[in-house]
Amino acid sequence: MSAITLYTGAMLQGAVITLELTAGATVVSLIAGAAGAVGRLYGPRTLKAFIFGYVETIRGLPAILQLFILYFGLTQFGIDVPAYWAAFIWLCLYGTGYAIEIFRAGLQGIPEGQHEATAALGLTRFEAMRRVIIPQAWVAMLPALTNFVVLELKNTTLVYFIGVQDIMFHARLGVSNSGQPLAIYGIAALIYIVLNGTISRVGGILEKRAAIAS
Amino acid sequence: MTVQLASILGLWGSYLPSFMRGLVITMEITGLGLAVAVVLGAILAGFKLSKFKALRVIATVYVDIIRSIPVLVLLFLAYYGLGQLGLTLSGIASATAALGAFYAALLCEIFRGGVQGVERGQREAADALGLGRVSGFVRVILPQAVLRILPPSTNQLSNIIKDSSLVVTIGVADLMARSYEASATTFEPMDMFVLAGLIYMALYLVIARAIGRWELNVQRRRG
Repeated sequence: MSAITLYTGAMLQGAVITLELTAGATVVSLIAGAAGAVGRLYGPRTLKAFIFGYVETIRGLPAILQLFILYFGLTQFGIDVPAYWAAFIWLCLYGTGYAIEIFRAGLQGIPEGQHEATAALGLTRFEAMRRVIIPQAWVAMLPALTNFVVLELKNTTLVYFIGVQDIMFHARLGVSNSGQPLAIYGIAALIYIVLNGTISRVGGILEKRAAIAS
Repeated sequence: MTVQLASILGLWGSYLPSFMRGLVITMEITGLGLAVAVVLGAILAGFKLSKFKALRVIATVYVDIIRSIPVLVLLFLAYYGLGQLGLTLSGIASATAALGAFYAALLCEIFRGGVQGVERGQREAADALGLGRVSGFVRVILPQAVLRILPPSTNQLSNIIKDSSLVVTIGVADLMARSYEASATTFEPMDMFVLAGLIYMALYLVIARAIGRWELNVQRRRG
């Protein structure tokens, strides 16, 4: 029993790393994703094509393959990225690909009439975006954004493979030392259920508020 | 430059047979996982649409819990955890169980949405024609629901293909694992991962195209 308490403590310490990676990568991905979506929709042709290719590549390749490319693949060119940063950069690149799609769909989902209405009101393009288009797109995008954070958090489970000390890292260590896979992976599952459940709950509250506000 | 390209192509050529054997395992895991997910997902969707509250609660709890567990954790629970209970599964069987359990939860929601999306009037029309509950569902509701179910299900299939690569962590020699091993033996990791990536992309494109064509067929027959 004490072994399990011990490794539960270690997993909770790992949860800090997991959350750190998730939060950091989410912030970077959302900013880069918003910029990418604008480029994808309104940018010059070559930029549109590049962003399209980027998104398709990120969405088409297995997550673990992308992480391996960054961590192991780049060593072929003498680039040695420390594990933690490889994990973080991968989560950002991966997240950006998905975030671009969410923002693009959100912006495109606003009916043409809304754009015309802002023009009729004499709003500049920037004002129109800020006061009319984005507030509406935001409400529509919230469920997808909640799923996005959950997806990023689940992705962090892969980083143990390159030695980053997240929840899974400590879980595996605990299993090999105690020989109790069912209990320890069960507790790991429980930690993920609580974390993801909390994210979904917060997303739900935001959705409700946004729905009332609009 | 050309010398380099030739050496990469030569390297790819020598590893291609091994990668292709890995691809077969990737497809095997994907197919088995999908089969379990479709059957279990359909049962869960049936529970969700049932008039019995207990069944609805079971399905809802299952979907909510499973969806928030990372597939990797499910895989370790199946591979290492069940072994502790005396139920030792092979790597491929564990992957089938983990992918099946996880994607059943997602497919359940897609199936339920597809069936509920068919207008109420269609059900009433089936009743008016004297079709029984079962034949009304099979001959009127289901054919219409399929059109709503196919596109999002195709998306999930591509996710299953990608997630099948997680078996690299439990030593199953799938495409991902073979590229990982080759990356260590050749000291040219990037070349090996790029080849694996191209094969994954090709697999996805072939499957997406096949399903797209099937969808078109279904739509055309519907008129």
